[in-house]
Amino acid sequence: MKTGIFICHCGHNIKHTVNVKKLSEYFKKYPNVTVSQDYVFVCSEPGQDMIRESIEKKGLDRVIIASCTPSLHGEMFKDVLKKSNLNPFLLRRVSIREHCSWVGDDVEKNTEKAKRLILAGLYSAAHYVPLEEKRVDVTRSALIIGGGVSGLSAAAFLSKMGMQVYLVEKEPELGGHVRTLKNIWPAGKDGKSIIDEMIEELTGRENVEIFTSTTISGFEGFFGNYEVTLDTPEGEKKLTAGGVIIAIGFSPFDPRIKPELQYGKDDRIITTLEFEHNADTLQLPEKPRVAILHCVGSRDEQIGKPYCSRVCCINALRVGEAMKDKYKDSYVESFYMDVRAHPRGGEEYFEDTQEKGVLFTRANVAEINLSPTGIVIRGEDTLFGETFEREFDLVVLSIGMSPPVDNKLIASLLKITLDKDKFFMEAHIKLRPFDTAVKGIFIAGSCSGPKDVEESINHGRASAVKLFGFLNLGYAYVDPFISYVDPKRCSGCRMCEQACVAKAIKYDEEKRVVHVEEAACMGCGLCNATCPSSAISLKGYIDCMIDDEIGALLEAI
Amino acid sequence: MLQDKAEKNPEIIGFACSYCTFKASEMAGSLRMKYPEGVKLIQVPCSSRVDPAFVIKAIFEGADGVFVAGCHPGDCHFIKGNYFTRRKIAALKEMFDAFSMKDKLRLFWVSAAEARRFIDKVTTMYNEIKERKNVREKN
Amino acid sequence: MLGKKIKNGNIEDTLNRFLKDDQHLVLGFEKGENGVSLRAFKNYLDHYSLLNPIFSTNGALHLRRLFSKGTKIILMLRPCEIRAYIELIKLNQIEREDIIAVSIDCFGALSSKDKTDDIPAEADQLREYFKKTDTMRWACKVCRERRGVVGDAGIRIDRDGLFWAFSYTEKGDSFLSLIEGEPEESRTEMLMSGSEKQDQFQNDMKTFSKDFAKCTMCMNCRDMCPVCYCIDCVFNGDEYLPKGDALLNKILRSGPVQLPQGKELFHFIRMYHVSQTCVGCGACEEACPQGIPLTKYFKGISERLQGMFSYMSGRSFDESIPYLTFLEDELKNAED
Repeated sequence: MKTGIFICHCGHNIKHTVNVKKLSEYFKKYPNVTVSQDYVFVCSEPGQDMIRESIEKKGLDRVIIASCTPSLHGEMFKDVLKKSNLNPFLLRRVSIREHCSWVGDDVEKNTEKAKRLILAGLYSAAHYVPLEEKRVDVTRSALIIGGGVSGLSAAAFLSKMGMQVYLVEKEPELGGHVRTLKNIWPAGKDGKSIIDEMIEELTGRENVEIFTSTTISGFEGFFGNYEVTLDTPEGEKKLTAGGVIIAIGFSPFDPRIKPELQYGKDDRIITTLEFEHNADTLQLPEKPRVAILHCVGSRDEQIGKPYCSRVCCINALRVGEAMKDKYKDSYVESFYMDVRAHPRGGEEYFEDTQEKGVLFTRANVAEINLSPTGIVIRGEDTLFGETFEREFDLVVLSIGMSPPVDNKLIASLLKITLDKDKFFMEAHIKLRPFDTAVKGIFIAGSCSGPKDVEESINHGRASAVKLFGFLNLGYAYVDPFISYVDPKRCSGCRMCEQACVAKAIKYDEEKRVVHVEEAACMGCGLCNATCPSSAISLKGYIDCMIDDEIGALLEAI
Repeated sequence: MLQDKAEKNPEIIGFACSYCTFKASEMAGSLRMKYPEGVKLIQVPCSSRVDPAFVIKAIFEGADGVFVAGCHPGDCHFIKGNYFTRRKIAALKEMFDAFSMKDKLRLFWVSAAEARRFIDKVTTMYNEIKERKNVREKN
Repeated sequence: MLGKKIKNGNIEDTLNRFLKDDQHLVLGFEKGENGVSLRAFKNYLDHYSLLNPIFSTNGALHLRRLFSKGTKIILMLRPCEIRAYIELIKLNQIEREDIIAVSIDCFGALSSKDKTDDIPAEADQLREYFKKTDTMRWACKVCRERRGVVGDAGIRIDRDGLFWAFSYTEKGDSFLSLIEGEPEESRTEMLMSGSEKQDQFQNDMKTFSKDFAKCTMCMNCRDMCPVCYCIDCVFNGDEYLPKGDALLNKILRSGPVQLPQGKELFHFIRMYHVSQTCVGCGACEEACPQGIPLTKYFKGISERLQGMFSYMSGRSFDESIPYLTFLEDELKNAED
């Protein structure tokens, strides 16, 4: 083995607290070390040339660069190796700046620390093998589950970009909940026309296939090539999709879960959704007394829905406004916990409805009772701490969003996770809000948590862009730091398979060993740490590398 | 072998997750924050890569302390990895506790932004171990 | 609980009926000239013994890599052996399909090292024997589960000395259907009640080093451990055991070292590997030629570590091994 060690002064940054000369001299004596040099700026042009020359003239097969932290200049130094026809994964970076010279003041101690850090790199690199960034072919097609606004907007983008799109909808018609809404706040447009516009964009595009009244019955394969089985009215259909967008929306909360609200027992107790559909046909007296209940099925720990549904406050405000507009002398009272008028313009809208005469009472509604003359609401005014009992002609329940009914089915079929509220869980709430744990599967719209129409459309488009980025080239590179199995050592206990978060490990029933689906592996190394016989290893971080690093850092080997 | 070395400065090995703690340590370096030289890091892609065998090996090869540091629970780059780490390392700590050497192993959650927290955690650990070590050597 | 009463000898009739099929086997104990030993019976039972007063190896050890070939097998073993069997099922080392696992109330056993000829194999006599002498193995004395309540079915003895068979799974039901008679409610209390909680294991490295000073790294403990199932152990290679030159380096740098090297490492890592699956049967100690009190350490550690996750190895087929799963909301104090 011919190892080259290059120790950077980084101008004064390393040199002033680390004796770099002493280090380069020390390593010259080491077996397997062909070159040991220190240089003022290894990352400079002459510095890079120095490395290239050493590789080419001395025939180095390992390069150790002791300088700044590995996340800096990483690609640049890899390129240096590539240009000299050396596999870039035979490079080892040792951080003696951020982790040594900058964090300690004592030159002697720092030099000793740097020596051990370089030693650890040297021992670890001895186990390095050339690695390849593997190219996998991916199918340029997307499966979109759910034909609501999110699904349609994702389909519109992907098909426009020339990607094959399979849009699957459980219902006979596309459009989801939005289709049934008469008035989308604040646009004032009806839902059907929004949906029709979106469908119009899709029709005529050859690369869009729409399956209505269709469900998914099978899902196999890995990122880039998922094998999907659809259950269509014409029978079973199989297709291959490179990636998936789940946009199955939400279910309206069913107020029957809270029996004290008496929903379903009287026509005069309706939900905001029913109000939206039937506002014109309601039978009401000339001066109707209307109660609106906020947060029905939201922010309610007792029924396991602690989250805010985000859309229902605006819906409640709209009911109040509609009532006041139609019946000038009506008595409209809103019972709320907090008014959270989330979207842009929401807060102003809240003020407008107050000005129109809708009363807002901060209250806990205890129960609703039916009486011959009306509906009696009993509760506690939480601002004044008084109980009240009032009679109304109409009670509108501002219902929240519940997870979609098919959440568990889809989650188990696609092997993705649900969050504590049973919506689909994103890979990272801030950094990867559209991804799931499984590569190539994205979530869009309110199936990942309550969203309004605008947010759902944006979410759908964003997921589509992410998916497009993954699949557009027709191939993708897989990071070489993935796990591999030594079938001779594998006992087939399937512990790694059970633990694997990405579900990238598959068991071979015949050979009784596991193997790794390379395209799906995330490279975390959990399987390696789980396997008692280390039959499965993570490339780049195999056991003996880390073991030797430990030994070198402790000067025990 | 567990043998106390002649010098009294503890050797501490830390396993740092690439996405959180190692990033925090880089930041600590860039900010010129100081911590003892005895603390040396091994970079791992995720704290879940840390096989408890590594920890055991480090202890028996002469480390006075080992820490495993990863992202805060729920923030793992690999989605769930650190939950497994938590179980394994908690179990290993229980095992060390049974041999009256619980102070040798620690588990930290340090996010990429928490350079100060990283410094505090490792310095506290170093000082506590150093104190115990010196008391032991005096006796 | 609903079970079937077994009249004297009836269990042998039952098993013999089962063995009439050529494709059927019974794994149980045989009383031979040299005491009681484990035996696989085919066609009929000969010198069958329900109990085995001597522990030499854990029977589940012999079942590893047993995958269904259509042969139906009834296991008539001790609770610790059935528990190891269950752990091996979870580890996919045995296929459960054609096996009915029956655990039998256990009164403890003698170590094979203290084997004597006069030890009885009948339940009441064995009980009396252990009452009179203090020769029971330590592992049995501190056993967590000596009752036949694990596996698919169990054979239990009540205070009147009657034998009962109980079913715990669907497979257990099929075992019970082999026994003559109708299921009835057992009204008498069982002879053996649940074990009391053990003390929390506490030790220190000094005692550990003293106890393990005798270790010669023969790795018999690993080979005889029923749940150490790896085809290729990490300690087979030289990954954890220092090579000659590395050893020399180490000596030159940090002074003299004890040989053989790496035995603490070996026992600690093995202890961690089996911490959730160890059934505390003491087969390791039985196998140790140096007489190291291994059970004390392995059982003590595994009970502490299993306790953290309210897990008990071999208690049920459905519980997942704790290191392979997690709860988001747990171990809040794990961080330092």
